[in-house]
Amino acid sequence: MTATALRHLTSALLLTWWSLTASGEETLHLPAEPDAGQARPLVIHAALDLPQARPLLEDFHRRHPHVELTYRNLTTLELHQRFLDAPDAADVILSSAMPWQYRLANDGHAQPLDSRAARTWPGWARWRYELFAFTFEPIVMVVHRDFRERFGELESHGDLLELLADHPRELAGRVITYDPERSGAGYTYAIEESRLSPRYWDLVAALGQARTALADTTGEMLDGLESGRYLVGYNLLGSYVRDEVADHPDLSIVMPEDYTLVTQRLAFIPRQAPHPETAQRFLDYLIGETGQRTIAERTQLGALHPALDGPGTATALRERLGDALRPIALGPGLLATLDELKREALLSRWTREYRRWSRRPEPHP
Amino acid sequence: MKPADSLYRRLLTWLLVPVLILGGLMVAQAWLEARRTADRAFDRLLEAASLAIAEQVQWQDERLWLDLPPAALEMLATDAEERVFYSLVDRKGRFITGNAELPDDPRSNRESDDTLLFRNLEWQGLTLRQGIRRSQLEDWRQSEPFEVRVAHSREGRNALAHELLRGNLAYILAMAALAVVVLLLAIRAALTPLTRLRRAIRTRDPRTLAPLDLTLPRELAELRETLNDLLARMRRVRANQERFIGDASHQLRTPLAGLSAHAELALRHDDPRRWREALVTMQATSARTARLAMQLLSLTRLDNPEYTPELSELDLAAMARQAVRDHWAHCHRDGIDLGLEGDSGPIPVHGVTWQLDEALGNLIDNARRYGARHVTVRTRAQPPTLEVEDDGPGIPESRRLLVLRPFHRGQHDSEGSGLGLAIVDGIARTHGARLRLTDGQGGHGLIVSLIFPREAP
Repeated sequence: MTATALRHLTSALLLTWWSLTASGEETLHLPAEPDAGQARPLVIHAALDLPQARPLLEDFHRRHPHVELTYRNLTTLELHQRFLDAPDAADVILSSAMPWQYRLANDGHAQPLDSRAARTWPGWARWRYELFAFTFEPIVMVVHRDFRERFGELESHGDLLELLADHPRELAGRVITYDPERSGAGYTYAIEESRLSPRYWDLVAALGQARTALADTTGEMLDGLESGRYLVGYNLLGSYVRDEVADHPDLSIVMPEDYTLVTQRLAFIPRQAPHPETAQRFLDYLIGETGQRTIAERTQLGALHPALDGPGTATALRERLGDALRPIALGPGLLATLDELKREALLSRWTREYRRWSRRPEPHP
Repeated sequence: MKPADSLYRRLLTWLLVPVLILGGLMVAQAWLEARRTADRAFDRLLEAASLAIAEQVQWQDERLWLDLPPAALEMLATDAEERVFYSLVDRKGRFITGNAELPDDPRSNRESDDTLLFRNLEWQGLTLRQGIRRSQLEDWRQSEPFEVRVAHSREGRNALAHELLRGNLAYILAMAALAVVVLLLAIRAALTPLTRLRRAIRTRDPRTLAPLDLTLPRELAELRETLNDLLARMRRVRANQERFIGDASHQLRTPLAGLSAHAELALRHDDPRRWREALVTMQATSARTARLAMQLLSLTRLDNPEYTPELSELDLAAMARQAVRDHWAHCHRDGIDLGLEGDSGPIPVHGVTWQLDEALGNLIDNARRYGARHVTVRTRAQPPTLEVEDDGPGIPESRRLLVLRPFHRGQHDSEGSGLGLAIVDGIARTHGARLRLTDGQGGHGLIVSLIFPREAP
């Protein structure tokens, strides 16, 4: 059992790096309408900020006024730990930490949802009818106007690599990205990108050569970009960026046209959910056309439903980027992300590549 | 009420039940085979995944090191979206890395170093198939054994097994249906000759006793032969009966014609003395005829196969005494010495009193008629035996069987009807007793013995 304990400890450590949301617990309580019949409780534990979640919850509550809804927003770490401590506390678990959600479902903690919406949900966005992806959030680059004026348009990873290689001095210290060692999201992206192409390591080396700043959260990167300290932000979570970019005309979003990673939030109903009936109703709403329309129109999360199109939907993104979109596969490969030795191996490689040029003598000018 | 037993149903049961049992066994076997095949196919995945992981195991920083290839895990999940588990364990069984602490396999290594073991596993409420690869890292100085354990849930296997079974099941069901149809037809065809035989018997003239002429399969041909034998016997019996009736009417006609002739002759005379003579003769003839008629009646009764008299317990010794008493005066008048021999104790047998009386009467009468001077009625207890001995001319051995036939008489015989011994024989048969004719003492005369079966205690 010592091995298990050790593993849990390391898992907890890994999760500390994961947190996208900085603050602790936020709650939203929507009481049941008194005249809507018997109140039916529903407890949602999620890692999804309230401003994004509120429109969804309110819309659901308006349609099902007899539901007494309790929403608790936690960091991914807290969410995971709380679930392991009390698997019968929540009716629905929503989280952006795909590997963790996958692992819980793989270990048999989720119960299947049998509904029309579930059956028609695209196969690549669900697992065994137990785990459902309900958002479609591209990983983007954010570019400052100054950069565009000096170096032209940035459209792909190739462009970035080329620019970094051509102008290491001008860009030195002006690029920012996730620190894969301290951020779980950054680590996940690194693993996915390294699987996509071995050229990723050249990019890491180039980033290292340009003494790229390493941040813990998307918010931190956005702050630096807004202030003009950084010209390029690499690998920011699109859904968090859109509102900010809309407020700052200096910044623009680049979805790389060679490949754009897409991350998804995963939802499941715990096997020991105290109120499975309302839980199923909520999940059905979440992946149903109504809920997805609300996501498309009133949040930045990106609706996945294949029947929807227009702004804020996966369909619209696909039309623009086509095959370049690379959703993170919802499959056992995610388990490798959580492997402790794998993590060590990848991070040591990442660090080695990041320092590739700084170890060697500078090429003679 | 129990339904009537039917040959058709019996054949059907005895053929269909084994066929259905066989079908059931085939289905069970097909299911096992489908599972085995599915396991074989899917075990390749466990093999490949464990190999892909094992290839990435290294010795680094004084410990086992694994750069887990995600593809190895993706290999384990098919379209059925199996749950996937893996772990890496060192030489002492310590968990190095993995997403589940999978249990060890108790089986030991085979001879080779690189071993692969598969088994089904119930683990934390999940039904899994586990594959364990025992391998080792070869270094310059040391070799480091390690174990890669992979497992996945059985959905894909079950789906494949069901698919294989469905294919086999269709085949087996088709075979079973075919077998049943063929069986039904075969049984029907096999029973057709029976129907033909039945029709042939039913359409016969009930009076005819001619043999059945019908080509039949061997088993039924035996039945036909038996039937023909029976018919032949019946023909013989009928012939006997016809002869008996002929003989009987002849025997009755002769004395009746005699009577008529005497009466006619007497009527031509006026002398009352002649009348008296004729009347005396007619009286003797009619007495003889009456006796003949009586004997014919008892013989007919005894010969009736339907006739089974009620046997009661009686004493043979007492019966012999009574017979001697009854016949003594009669014999004494004719100057015949009638004697009784035997123990005084009772000899119990089962029998019919009037029949045995009749038999004794017949035997004494016969002896008297055939000119015996001494007649002895003898009883014996072990076995119960009734004997009548006379010192008459006796019967030569060659004719002893013949005299048992009705209307057979010794030569130059005018008095007897020829039925006496036939009646005694019939009575003996009714009692299950043996009739024996032997020479009298000193080689002349005749002993007729009725030997009864021993009394059951």
